Amino acid sequence: MASIVELAKRLCEVSEKSYLNPYTYITWQESMPKEQWFMSPELISIYGTSEYDKLDLKQKQILSFYESVNFFSLNIHGEKSLVEGIAHRLYSKELKDLAPYLHHFLDEENKHMIYFGGFCQRYAGKVYRNRKLEIPREYAKGEEDFLFFARILIFEELVDFYNIRMSTDETLEAITRQINLVHHLEEARHLVFGRQIVEYLFEKYSPSWSEKVRRNIQEYLAAYIVTTWKEYYNPDVYTDAGLPEPYDLVESAWNTESCRAHRKKVSAKIIEFLKERNMILEEPVL
Amino acid sequence: MKSEAEVKQTLRDWIIKAAGGKISQEQLQNDTPIIEERIITSLQIMDLILQLEKITGKPLDVEQLKPGVFRNIDSIYENFCGENGDEN
Repeated sequence: MASIVELAKRLCEVSEKSYLNPYTYITWQESMPKEQWFMSPELISIYGTSEYDKLDLKQKQILSFYESVNFFSLNIHGEKSLVEGIAHRLYSKELKDLAPYLHHFLDEENKHMIYFGGFCQRYAGKVYRNRKLEIPREYAKGEEDFLFFARILIFEELVDFYNIRMSTDETLEAITRQINLVHHLEEARHLVFGRQIVEYLFEKYSPSWSEKVRRNIQEYLAAYIVTTWKEYYNPDVYTDAGLPEPYDLVESAWNTESCRAHRKKVSAKIIEFLKERNMILEEPVL
Repeated sequence: MKSEAEVKQTLRDWIIKAAGGKISQEQLQNDTPIIEERIITSLQIMDLILQLEKITGKPLDVEQLKPGVFRNIDSIYENFCGENGDEN
């Protein structure tokens, strides 16, 4: 724990120095013409499918707008549950020494939602709905905290790949690029913290877990990676972009080899991290 | 819209596939508790929701769901496809 507290202190200093006002960081423009790129083409969920290849430039750019709204929406849903979970654990017995950094964590995640929500509400008039559902169950000692932070880490590692790519893609619309940049800069700290806390909790509690609990955790985390990816294939996006048979498109894009290769490439880092520490045994079927 | 029997068969086929060998067509009844008996996991519910939206042609709001709606095939049908379908 001492090393995480030390890390949290350093992260606090960086957070304080780079403190941002979310209401002045972005200058929102009144309207947003859709005939420009909002997501790097290779990150669009159906990129590489025959359906994508059939679209003309205008249709691809409109699709990129709704894909970006979906990316921001899934971030809002992910961060909402993150904020709930962090707030619940603030000043808990286990994590009380990390409270100063958890305050920054909460603050920064709240700001991210202001950016994401600001974009979605202003320019799309909505945030896409969430389809993820967690059913309450009993946990072994330390399991719930471990899974909570492991879920955050998986979610943020995947998102960060997108943020890094889009923050440097100069063909993208400026506000979109700016949101991706600020998200990456702050998430980079959350990821460093996340890896450490996940390792700490696993090392502390896993020796007391039964083989069955451990096996369930390994299967759950592998399945969680798959479910997280499924949110990137949203039929509502395809409907809004005017594409036919949106539910069939979800399935065909998911099963397209180049889309599978993309998911594997983006997930490689987090899978390696989890595998090396026996937090998952087998690679998820992406 | 498909008939009740057709919808329940579609749901049964989806559950058997999602369960990956945990249960057979013969074992899976309309009142088999699919979550409680861990035939499908909470993480697979997102796929089930997509399946239901495809069947009913209606969007489904997770935040408005009542507890127990995914208990078994009968409750899924009743809450999303039957007379009460519009309440969810």
